Amino acid sequence: MELSMSGGALRTFARCVTCLARVGSEVALQAHPAKLELHTLNSSRSAYASVSLARDFFDQYHLPASGHAASAPPSTPLQCSVLLKSVLAVLRTPPAALDRLAVSLPDPDAPKLQFILHCLNGVRKTYWIACSAESEVQTLALDRSRFPSHLVVRPRDLTRLLSNFQSSLQELTIIATDPAAGLPDAGGDVGGKAVELRSYNDPAKDDCDTRLHTQLWIDPAEEFMEYVHTGDPVDVTFGVKELKAFLTFCEACEVDIHLFFEKAGEPVLLVPRFALDDGSSSDFDATLLLSTMLVSQLIDSNVAQQPATSAQLAEEPRTGATPSPVPENVSNHTKIWSELSGIPSCGTGHHCSTPKSFEANREIQAQERNASASVLNHTSMLPRVINAPCKPPVADNANNTKVISANPRSQHHPSNWVGADDNDDDNEVDEELLVQTTPHYMD
Amino acid sequence: MSSSTSGRDEDAPDLVCQIDCVHGMVDALSSARWKRHQDAVMELSSHGIVVTVEESGCLQAKVFLKSELFVEYEYTAEGRPRFGLSLGLLIDCLNTFSAPGHASSVEIRYPGPDMQLLLKSVGSPDACMYAEIRTRIPDTLPWDYHFEHAGNTPVTFTVKSAVLKESIDDLEWPGSSIQIQMQPDPPSVILKGEGHGDLQIEFPYYANTDLVIAFQCDREVSYRYKYKFLRATTSNIPSSVIKENRGTKVQIGRGGILKVQHLVSVARPGMQYYRNTAGGAQQPSRIAYIEFFVKPEEDDINNG
Repeated sequence: MELSMSGGALRTFARCVTCLARVGSEVALQAHPAKLELHTLNSSRSAYASVSLARDFFDQYHLPASGHAASAPPSTPLQCSVLLKSVLAVLRTPPAALDRLAVSLPDPDAPKLQFILHCLNGVRKTYWIACSAESEVQTLALDRSRFPSHLVVRPRDLTRLLSNFQSSLQELTIIATDPAAGLPDAGGDVGGKAVELRSYNDPAKDDCDTRLHTQLWIDPAEEFMEYVHTGDPVDVTFGVKELKAFLTFCEACEVDIHLFFEKAGEPVLLVPRFALDDGSSSDFDATLLLSTMLVSQLIDSNVAQQPATSAQLAEEPRTGATPSPVPENVSNHTKIWSELSGIPSCGTGHHCSTPKSFEANREIQAQERNASASVLNHTSMLPRVINAPCKPPVADNANNTKVISANPRSQHHPSNWVGADDNDDDNEVDEELLVQTTPHYMD
Repeated sequence: MSSSTSGRDEDAPDLVCQIDCVHGMVDALSSARWKRHQDAVMELSSHGIVVTVEESGCLQAKVFLKSELFVEYEYTAEGRPRFGLSLGLLIDCLNTFSAPGHASSVEIRYPGPDMQLLLKSVGSPDACMYAEIRTRIPDTLPWDYHFEHAGNTPVTFTVKSAVLKESIDDLEWPGSSIQIQMQPDPPSVILKGEGHGDLQIEFPYYANTDLVIAFQCDREVSYRYKYKFLRATTSNIPSSVIKENRGTKVQIGRGGILKVQHLVSVARPGMQYYRNTAGGAQQPSRIAYIEFFVKPEEDDINNG
């Protein structure tokens, strides 16, 4: 195999390698007649990244003559596996200083992969990287059409959304709801914010309770370029590190991110969305496949699911009683709940979904938890919630309302919640907190 | 303590000199500083000051600060006084004298009453900084490498300092032993390192006129050197060398001894503390010479 690239392709190649290096430690190269593929898998096997470079991507692309097809089946591509750290060492010389880069593997069993950098100043650097002995090439291919839901977002928008979360965030949950199933109330903010981004903290870790929890409700119409999701709300929880690597890659290549998902436990697929018509195609493509947590963050058990649905249906006729969720002077686009915010005054006649949002609000208010919080028994709390859907919250206890903070999503002791009367007055407008954060799915 | 005046000959200091750009002197001396603490030998003569640093008998650096670099240079000793001091200490001490934006003129005097090296800031009417550095009798004299050319014609090339530095930095990846090879046909310099991966860097003479400025080689020559010594020859060259696009001259002498020469500007015209020397009619070049000698690894003796 002999290939050579220069200019913009060389820069893209460097970005691909950087992205792959942030996912896994070894890369498998597969040279097909029409394209070169690079695959990597992370050590915990929870992220798979792949880059495909078409023949046109390169200035030169030669494979061993397929005249040997008789002896070697054409379906087995030439392949070798090298450490990404070594490839990064090759690319230490900045692409801007290079005239061209040539890569060659003399024969399929060659022990070393050769990189020749032709620098603009005349220096010629030749690297030989040892190929790994056992080259277990993982090729995972998923059909995009099997994913019922997807979204398209600009990298800088996603960066901005992620900047609301702590930089040490390890896992992120995306809760997607059907925008059409939102509260059909009057007012400009139909459905409220149909998508929620939430930090995921592993309950098994000791400092879980002292970690920062962040929830972000967004209106997909404003934040995403495309958003398709119908039916019941779903959530997917996956690692952020690989997401950020892919984000950096797409940002540098100036392409949007296309994220396909299904539900908890099913992987999410990320690909770049080139701003091209369907007819033409880019000369390179990338894929990131992330496994998601099996446990859904929305509902803990199937038992709860049923009543929730019925409760939801039961509540719908009464949506009219809900006060207008969004006062006009509040931003329609994004609500960020990572700060302590004021508690609404819960008057009478509130729709029962209001307590839910109240609960949701209260859940995110206490940022620093005490370590002594115990994990709630959610299933035991649930019936109370379900059975008394319209009871206004028992509020304003000195010791926080234990009942209604039985948010099944919450894993924290209600005594940790900041009491209704503890909050500052100068926080956001009261009414803002009555916004339907996401359509009630947890009833 | 008061500085002695040159009243009687016996009391006159061997050397009193003044440099108007301490920062340049620091740059030049720092090129030879590959470790935090190094014992250096300083030798004074009427031609200038030479600071020599050595390691393991395999690597030696010499910094030449010729007398023309100094605004004043009064040398009255007979013979060549030689003394030992810590290079790191000298550099750190000189650094305290140089403050950005101020005229940093320093007078250096040797010896003090107790054979110290005396430093004094001059030129500032408000304050005076004063330092003395203890010196010692050097344990061993610096090894004289007796650099000779092997054969009739020298084997030498001159390459951009920035390129040599970058190449040696890249050669960190492969391994601990670097081979330097020069061949006449096609005229090129090849640096090779092998380890868990292999890297070969070539400077072809005909590639680009800017890359290899000079090249002389009549037969193939190849020697191996320890990476850490090779690295010491370029790792601390000051950024002014890169900015001014200077060249580094590399020679391979008899026995494979490698000689690496850099040019470091001591003065920076345009900086506000630069002052024309009042003495000479012409402006002498304010360049300090740094020379490194590296012994080859013995297991690869080539008939060069």
